[in-house]
Amino acid sequence: MRSRARFHTGNRIGGTSWVATVSAVLLSLLFIIPAFWMMINSLRPTVDIFESLWPLSPRVIIPTSLGVENYLTLFGGPFGRAFLVSMAVCLLTVMIGLVLSVAAAYALAVLRFPGRNAIFAAVVISFMVPFEAIAIPLSQLFNDWGLTNTFMGLVLPGVCNGLAIFNLRQHFLSVPTSYREAATVDGASELRVLWSVFVPVSGPAISNSALLIFLGQWSSYLWPLIAVSSPSLQVAPLALAKAFTEHSADYGATFAGAMALAIVPATLMLILQRFFGRLAIGSGEK
Amino acid sequence: MQSRRMPDERLAVGLGASRAGANRARRRPSRQRRREALWAAIFLAPALAAILALRLAPAAEALVTSLYRGFPGGLRPQVFVGLGNYQTLFLSQAYWETIARTIVFNLVINPLQIAMALLLAVVMTRKIPARSIWRVLVFIPATIPIVGSSIAWGIALQPQGPVNAILSALGGSVQPFFTSPQQSMASIILVASWVGIGYWMIFLISGIDAIPEELFEAAKLDKAGPIRTFFHVTIPLLKRPLLFVLVADTVANFVLFVPIQVLTGGGPESSTTMQMFNAYRTTFGHSSKNMGAAEVVILSLIMLAFVAIQFRLLREDSPRGSK
Repeated sequence: MRSRARFHTGNRIGGTSWVATVSAVLLSLLFIIPAFWMMINSLRPTVDIFESLWPLSPRVIIPTSLGVENYLTLFGGPFGRAFLVSMAVCLLTVMIGLVLSVAAAYALAVLRFPGRNAIFAAVVISFMVPFEAIAIPLSQLFNDWGLTNTFMGLVLPGVCNGLAIFNLRQHFLSVPTSYREAATVDGASELRVLWSVFVPVSGPAISNSALLIFLGQWSSYLWPLIAVSSPSLQVAPLALAKAFTEHSADYGATFAGAMALAIVPATLMLILQRFFGRLAIGSGEK
Repeated sequence: MQSRRMPDERLAVGLGASRAGANRARRRPSRQRRREALWAAIFLAPALAAILALRLAPAAEALVTSLYRGFPGGLRPQVFVGLGNYQTLFLSQAYWETIARTIVFNLVINPLQIAMALLLAVVMTRKIPARSIWRVLVFIPATIPIVGSSIAWGIALQPQGPVNAILSALGGSVQPFFTSPQQSMASIILVASWVGIGYWMIFLISGIDAIPEELFEAAKLDKAGPIRTFFHVTIPLLKRPLLFVLVADTVANFVLFVPIQVLTGGGPESSTTMQMFNAYRTTFGHSSKNMGAAEVVILSLIMLAFVAIQFRLLREDSPRGSK
């Protein structure tokens, strides 16, 4: 649990550094002001946004009135349905993705079989090649396979996540072998060992993998763009882009859409603060 | 979870030293070994099927498609042209310009993002009040899906938008940003970096936190200032995490698509047309799927090289983590 505490502790030596404090505040303002501006704009009438864009005045971030009308307009239109489609796609993707990743990671971490290291490398490398690179030929295959414009067609490409498998494997390697030996002596099958021994001690690793799979699918844009044309299967990011390019005059709803898209991953990541510590792949700490 | 870890076991497997495993397996009865191999096959089947259908099949599809030339309308059957499409691509000045643009974009955006992320990580690991708040504020843009932030920046950077309002209030002149071939690429870099920097910062913060405290204390006893400490302690010990985020960032930015599709459409005057968007436009905009497939093959080969490096960095990283 060291890494979880890290977000709050791990002080470097010495007293408070004022240079660092001032830099931290200024730098974080640089990042947060545009996000704050987006949020304010999502809560005020479009005409108020237009009037505040130019010339520079305090009105740019101080609204004359606040309300949730933009969100009501947005969710009353095609975006509302698209948001639900996105949710459903992501949930199913996470479920299938977790089963696939947990099973593969268990085999690659715990079971001994010939060619294990080679398969591990092949699995992780082929899933780490960014999906976008092969999305175009895959869309032609999905067309041949009758998966274009289907719900499963949206779900399937998101189920593989190389980092999810990698993280789960690293975690399973840390589970003492004696646990499994004890269960096997009692006659438990591998499926049972995985389910009743490994899964219960892997909560954080599993939820992080779920988060990785979810985030990848939630923001996917290129794939739904080329694999789906039917309006009933439109996902939220595309509905937003479409609303922006087709009737870009409704800035209020556009900002509300950007915020609505952000709120789900932001909540998940900030609540599951483990993200900050446990996904620390770069640190050699997994 | 740390306490349950068995370093030796991890180390052996992490190093890829299958010898330890092989010895143990030899001691076990062969029935047991067969049983384990069978279970491994069952557990790996979904992942391997997914690789086959979702990765290898499209790669093969692209490769085969790229060797043919089709005709508009699809009435005449497509003909085998061997490497003809690749030859056409490499003889085309526009394609070389696209490659050059992709390379320049990556040579600028990746070091820029990682340098900024490193600067932030260093600041955010110093002893400052309310540290986790500043970290979260920098990270928040990374939680906004890029389609949302692209649109918002599109509005912020329009000719009569708030960024130009600030510029002219400060006495500067109004900038065209996305509407000028000279500034469009820089504007894309701005949007992608606003999203990306906070994300990579998190990785580097963990990297810095993993550096043993004693080294910083020793540096302090030696009366090393923050800059000397940074170059002589932080940077050398952060080499691997830095390399990892640099490669991972490059992989992500090489296929950057959303801001280009939403904001510039590759323009103006092709100034933001890079390999990924180019392959998309060749295939769907110009309905030339054979040429598009050749472009996909080239892009995938480049990605594969980067990912192989990334995987090595991940692997070499694991033994150190168990210490």
